[in-house]
Amino acid sequence: MASMMQPQIILLKEGTDTSQGKPQLISNINACMAVADVVRTTLGPRGMDKLIHDDKGNTTISNDGATIMKLLDVVHPAAKILVDIAKSQDSEVGDGTTTVVLLAGEFLKEAKPFIEDGVHPQNLIRSYRIASFMVDFLNSYPCSILHMNIYDLGAIEKIKELAVSIEGKSSDEKRSLLAKCAATTLSSKLIGGEKEFFASMVVDAVFAIGNDDRLNMIGIKKVPGGTMRDSFLVNGVAFKKTFSYAGFEQQPKKFLNPKILLLNIELELKSEKENAEIRLSDPLQYQSIVDAEWNIIYDKLDKCVQSGAKIVLSRLAIGDLATQYFADRDIFCAGRVAEDDLHRVAAATGGTVQTSVNNVIDEILGSCEVFEEKQVGGERFNIFSGCPSGQTATIVLRGGADQFIEEAERSLHDAIMIVRRAMKNSTVVAGGGAIDMELSRYLWQHARNIAGKSQLFINSYAKALEVIPRQLCDNAGFDATDVLNKLRQKHALAAGWSFAIYFKNKNKKSFSSEGALYGVDINTGGISDSFANFVWEPAVVKINAINAATEAACLILSVDETVKNPKSESAQGEAAGGMGRGRGGGMRGGRGRGMRRR
Amino acid sequence: MALAFDEYGRPFIILREQESKSRLRGLDAQKSNIAAGVAVSRILRTSLGPKGMDKMLQSPDGDITITNDGATILEQMDVDNQIGKLMVELSRSQDYEIGDGTTGVVVMAGALLEQAERLLERGIHPIRVAEGFEISSRIAVDHLEQISHKFDFSATNIEPLVQTCMTTLSSKIVNRCKRSLAEIAVKGVMAVADLERKDVNLDLIKVEGKVGGKLEDTELIYGIIVDKDMSHPQMPKQIEDAKIAILTCPFEPPKPKTKHKVDIDTVEKFQTLREQERKYFDDMVQRCKDVGATLVICQWGFDDEANHLLMHRNLPAVRWVGGVELELIAIATGGRIVPRFQELTPEKLGKAGLVREKAFGTTKDRMLYIEHCANSRAVTVFIRGGNKMMIEETKRSIHDALCVARNLIRNNSIVYGGGAAEISCSIAVEAAADKYPGVEQYAIRAFADALDSVPMALAENSGLQPIETLSAVKAQQIKEKNPCCGIDCNDAGTNDMREQNVFETLIGKQQQILLATQVVKMILKIDDVISPSEY
Repeated sequence: MASMMQPQIILLKEGTDTSQGKPQLISNINACMAVADVVRTTLGPRGMDKLIHDDKGNTTISNDGATIMKLLDVVHPAAKILVDIAKSQDSEVGDGTTTVVLLAGEFLKEAKPFIEDGVHPQNLIRSYRIASFMVDFLNSYPCSILHMNIYDLGAIEKIKELAVSIEGKSSDEKRSLLAKCAATTLSSKLIGGEKEFFASMVVDAVFAIGNDDRLNMIGIKKVPGGTMRDSFLVNGVAFKKTFSYAGFEQQPKKFLNPKILLLNIELELKSEKENAEIRLSDPLQYQSIVDAEWNIIYDKLDKCVQSGAKIVLSRLAIGDLATQYFADRDIFCAGRVAEDDLHRVAAATGGTVQTSVNNVIDEILGSCEVFEEKQVGGERFNIFSGCPSGQTATIVLRGGADQFIEEAERSLHDAIMIVRRAMKNSTVVAGGGAIDMELSRYLWQHARNIAGKSQLFINSYAKALEVIPRQLCDNAGFDATDVLNKLRQKHALAAGWSFAIYFKNKNKKSFSSEGALYGVDINTGGISDSFANFVWEPAVVKINAINAATEAACLILSVDETVKNPKSESAQGEAAGGMGRGRGGGMRGGRGRGMRRR
Repeated sequence: MALAFDEYGRPFIILREQESKSRLRGLDAQKSNIAAGVAVSRILRTSLGPKGMDKMLQSPDGDITITNDGATILEQMDVDNQIGKLMVELSRSQDYEIGDGTTGVVVMAGALLEQAERLLERGIHPIRVAEGFEISSRIAVDHLEQISHKFDFSATNIEPLVQTCMTTLSSKIVNRCKRSLAEIAVKGVMAVADLERKDVNLDLIKVEGKVGGKLEDTELIYGIIVDKDMSHPQMPKQIEDAKIAILTCPFEPPKPKTKHKVDIDTVEKFQTLREQERKYFDDMVQRCKDVGATLVICQWGFDDEANHLLMHRNLPAVRWVGGVELELIAIATGGRIVPRFQELTPEKLGKAGLVREKAFGTTKDRMLYIEHCANSRAVTVFIRGGNKMMIEETKRSIHDALCVARNLIRNNSIVYGGGAAEISCSIAVEAAADKYPGVEQYAIRAFADALDSVPMALAENSGLQPIETLSAVKAQQIKEKNPCCGIDCNDAGTNDMREQNVFETLIGKQQQILLATQVVKMILKIDDVISPSEY
């Protein structure tokens, strides 16, 4: 018997799932395409939202690519890469997360027929890299047609008007230009109906924090109730009234130019040391111990009062005794202030958080122009406004439902990131698929000069870029082929000479005649000049999206074997083999919860 | 979710637990969402208006609630469907912001969804529908502004406020004595209102209820009622010109917070300890007497020894008063909350003209009335009623009326009720529709139809022919150019809501329209629902 059968050599642990070669590559591509399909419909101003309901009963309604990808809980190893690039796009630029997934999916889709025909993946990878590099080059080259420096545009206006106060003017103009960028991002979101309102709010918030890198200096507070137009921006800090003890209502609720003391200690009558024990042999000493304890807390409170502060905030509890003590002395206090709120107050008012009340000097006290407790919907808010250092802003969001506000918060986060990016990296490109069409055209043209099969690959890369305008049309219910052909024609017209015109006659008319700036017009179903219609995106979003998508596509193309280790992924392996579903399912569920928390 | 197959024909898993997740996409998702939203709004539809019916809800632990208040019904229904939950939140938002009109907003949203479904079936893109709705909501809100009336009221002339509150109360179970309840609500709000800043802190109005008596016995007390009695039955039941010490420390010997032990090894020591303890009580009572207090209100309890001593020294006392009540008492009487006997001074005492204990009926329940306070900016509405459910419902109705009065103080514009405002908006929106090119026009017309559904529901609930009544009123509005024509629910013989004195607040109406549109947009925008099928 033994001689008839070759003994099987077991190299890997039993149950290890290996698949390799071309089929594996194709199946990876299929998986990625399936994932990209999920987010496909969220792109653009006519994009739809997803309602994702997880097994813990949390519901999220979102339009944000990164959020959806995260919640989908993808386990396929290749498809996970797409999740990662969406996340990285989110943390890097904050917006364009749907775009990046869509592009990566499309690059792979274009590569699939070549792989099936037996092209070596490395060939494809090389060509894709070249294409991406070219796109990149085009993007980062300062005189490219597709770019316009925000400041440049300002300069044109300036030359026209021969303005005197250049500094003040440019800040105002910058503001309106940045608002345009923010509005473009917001137009695809749920709050798109009020995009101008929110765009200017976001720009104001970003200007308020200035060049500070700490994004957490912009606080977003959510209060259910009201309509979104009731949202407002506080040029300072606002937070919800904290838990209060009896006596709180007797404190004054409004101050002008108060001094603010920020603490990180408990102001409560309590034992000073844990596990300490007092032994008394003489009952007469009893009172002195009681008094000593009271004196400690009174001493602390007294020091707070003596510092001249009118508002005392603490991260830890401020007890009822302290509340009443402060109420007697017309001082406002709030205990258990959330840590990030306290830091924001510290940054805004110029105070420093203290861990002791000893030696409180004037320098560590913060101050602001107005402090007030105000009713916002069903909540009372503590609002500090007119802060000296002005490095903070708080947006108070209102809306009809919790999920609505959650989504609004995510959208505003995107917009904030975009504005910050645009401020630092001041180039913008035309949105609405215009830039993608133009890049695609450029690559088509370039591919003609290449001998060899690389030409095909670059062509397919160019074709993949067209997915953005195509999807925009599809989502809006337009005939994508029709619109795309119109766009191609426009962009072909513009070839070569448009950029010369722009730089020669620096006036606005010349851009609108440029084909390079034409994108999908979402309102009419035709095409229009995106730049003139103020559909703007910061260039960095596109650069990052294209780079990340290309990287991901190349990475997936370069994999030809997957080995799934049965120990950590046994449930997965079994389910893939179509057995052991019951028990495995439970285990997977258990781990799933752990995963998400990460 | 569709399975993908690899080249070997094996299915492979992309998402965790893919097989057990259900997914709805595209039009199916929208339709099922709309169906869920509409189902919720249908439940509330019959509660709308003065002839609306109540719902009885039983909670899992057997408590029964009978109510007509939209927000409460939805809250108690424990809706599980995700879209249903959105509707619940919608009504809650209206409750937080305005306090009234919680049923109307859900009915409005349901009507919009019904209309949207029809448009979707015709193949109109959901976002175009939502955008059309948004445009029309803006038109409607502007129109409301135009047809609204400002009225004047002052501290002495509260009649207009009372009229508006009566409109709110007329749809509740308590409409029997809506006039007196409306007056109570308005007077209460006026007492705490800051007319300069146009701010009303409703926290200062306490609503207290007690089973027994009739609804008509409900009263407004310029002071505080505490559901407590004197700590000792023999203490005086009535104190005039009371000076109140408000304490947050117990009548007990003080204890250090640090763990402590007293070593007692001789009889003398024990006796000193005992003596000292007694002295503490003595001191505490003496201290209160010294500063001139004639009543002690304490957050904590005190033991029998102290109780006896207080009785002995003729110092009435109340124990176990909650923190919130204590605070209200302090505000009302102008006193300060004192955390320690040593800090007690005459200035910190609160003053009240009359403190009395009142017994109710044959029960032994007593309550403490603190009236004629130094600062009357804290009032209590004291509700009586036949049973607990009735009292709870009255509390909710009073809350609605208080909110209406508050909103009017903030913004004194009113529109006419009885569906008049909706019909007028519907006419305006319909007229504006023709000006919009593009698909939105259809959505705007649909919005106008949806607006009609509120008066329609009113007519239906009042037993009138909905379509006939509505068309008659609409025709009358256009003919007479009178935006005050509404549905005559009470069969008063006139359609003019001005004569019937049916008013609603402008901000309440505007908020309803904006909120409903917002949530409908959110629902329409979802085209993909991913949920675990069971868990």
